[in-house]
Amino acid sequence: MEVGMLPISASKRGKLLSTGYTTLLSISRASLADLARDLQVSEPEASEIMKCASKTSTLDLSNGTHNTTVVNGGQTAWAMLNEEKFSLHITTSCMDLDNILGGGINCKEVTEIGGVPGIGKTQIGIQLAVNVQIPPEYGGLGGKAIYIDTEGSFMVERVLQIAEACIEDMSEYSNHFRKDLQASEVKMHPDSILENIFYFRVCSYTEQIALVNYLDKFITEHKDVKIIIIDSVTFHFRQDFDDMALRTRLLSAMALKLMKLASKFCLAVVLLNQVTTKHIDGSFQLTLALGDSWSHSCTNRIILFWNGNDRHAFIDKSPSLKSASAQYSVTPRGIRNSTSCKRIKMM
Amino acid sequence: MKPENLLQNIHLRTQKCSVGCPTLNHFLNGGVPCNSITELVAESGSGKTQFCLQLALSAQLPPSHGGLSASSLYIHSEFPFPIRRLRQLSLALRSTYPHLFRSVDPCDSVFVRGVYSADEFVQLIPIIELHILNSKFRLPVRVIVVDSIAALFRSDFENTGSDLRRRSSLFFKISGALKSLAKRYGLAVMVTNQVVDMIGGACPGITGMRIGNLTELYSSGRQICPALGLAWANCVNSRLFLSRDQAVNGNGELYQRRRLCVVFAPHLPASSCDIVIKGEGVFGVEMQQA
Repeated sequence: MEVGMLPISASKRGKLLSTGYTTLLSISRASLADLARDLQVSEPEASEIMKCASKTSTLDLSNGTHNTTVVNGGQTAWAMLNEEKFSLHITTSCMDLDNILGGGINCKEVTEIGGVPGIGKTQIGIQLAVNVQIPPEYGGLGGKAIYIDTEGSFMVERVLQIAEACIEDMSEYSNHFRKDLQASEVKMHPDSILENIFYFRVCSYTEQIALVNYLDKFITEHKDVKIIIIDSVTFHFRQDFDDMALRTRLLSAMALKLMKLASKFCLAVVLLNQVTTKHIDGSFQLTLALGDSWSHSCTNRIILFWNGNDRHAFIDKSPSLKSASAQYSVTPRGIRNSTSCKRIKMM
Repeated sequence: MKPENLLQNIHLRTQKCSVGCPTLNHFLNGGVPCNSITELVAESGSGKTQFCLQLALSAQLPPSHGGLSASSLYIHSEFPFPIRRLRQLSLALRSTYPHLFRSVDPCDSVFVRGVYSADEFVQLIPIIELHILNSKFRLPVRVIVVDSIAALFRSDFENTGSDLRRRSSLFFKISGALKSLAKRYGLAVMVTNQVVDMIGGACPGITGMRIGNLTELYSSGRQICPALGLAWANCVNSRLFLSRDQAVNGNGELYQRRRLCVVFAPHLPASSCDIVIKGEGVFGVEMQQA
């Protein structure tokens, strides 16, 4: 909003404009004495103008800048771009994979990861639930995780193993690069990592939908949740559905809610999906489950596949990342860079 | 709805049920995990049933011996039920732990039920739940063995689109029901599966699609893959593969080499372990790192 619209006398408005105070920001930045001197008015009068200006600008903020957008809560593309520069990522612990993802799994987005059984979907899920807790000193988010398990593949001992490796890596990092971080290293303990994963086991699709509806309330109470993982989103939706239209409606309603959660609380949503075969032109092809309309529900889609003896991840769909593939491996310590390509180079 | 506290798990690991051999228990990180479905894939005569019978018997061992202090439910779809072998194994168990079985017969804690079709199995699930809930037996039911899931599905379904869809919907229904039971009552569920031959070697495409750690599965010198396809593979949490091959031992004699491999499992690395089947049961063979 411009100075011309301030509810003050016309002469003062003229003085403001002629002395160069054209925006509300410039008024709020000036000191009281400066303003009084520049406008040649008394200090009480100047403070009146400043009050007016600050009131108008806070009104502006709460309503959204109403001279640029009609709808409340709207945002300019410029503001969004600025915001995205500071967007947060959750590392996958595999550098190659992080590179193609632009730093890791994006907050505020819904990412779908799918692949055949045994490719490592659950492993990636567990790794992310641990990595979201890496404190800011080590480049993490220091958040908590919600893990929704529909299949029963979440094994506590495996989480513990990955958590211990993650802590080891962090202390190694601090020993190498930052001597001053020794104090914070003690704070992380595998038990506390387990404590910060909110684990829900759901046994039917109604339970799954009810839980997603409840998450809004839950996250309002637990503000520092930074990732929601559903392992897998598919399982309960592949049984007992005779009415496929109903299934599609339920799924897209759930996806919308998750997307809303992602942007409202600035957290990452990771949905793990299974693969199925699809009949195209007389031949069978592999594709992620839940059908075509579901594929619109996620912002990003990553497909995991075998290439010989190596595991690869491929970005199948993303509005901002170029399609690329990266190799990763599942080690006792969790998801890591693949070592096999180095071995080939050495030979 | 409340999240579960992960720290309340005993010793920070999922409860396991012993399979009755220390080497195999070590290989499986304690045994067959509770709250999930473990699948054992093998061709006929490899030792699937032996393995399952032993698991069913070991469940009643106290936790200090790796068991769950529980009875088990053995659902079989391959006939007849090997009752003599169960008797034999129970006697072996009794002689290994004479102090535990002075007054009780291990066979008393194994409930057996035959099923003939997939639909019958679906109808059986509520009955299983009643059985678990109302058990007035000495030990609660904590182990369910389904031997084998493949036999239920191999005859009733045509190779047409609609039948296949009906079949995979049944897979998810059965698996969902079993997982839900497993979660609510802390059950360890073991399911066996048969294999099918791969025709024409490693044909690319769907049938040749790789699932899990092993590029190709071989047993008796033939390339095979687990029955029931990709849809069923999505229904189990862990898959173990038992292979059987002719091998030559140190003295130049031919012998049956049986090998247990982890195809995929959320808590186990890709690994394998040789096993032998004797009169007293199934045992793992300690091996030096190859």
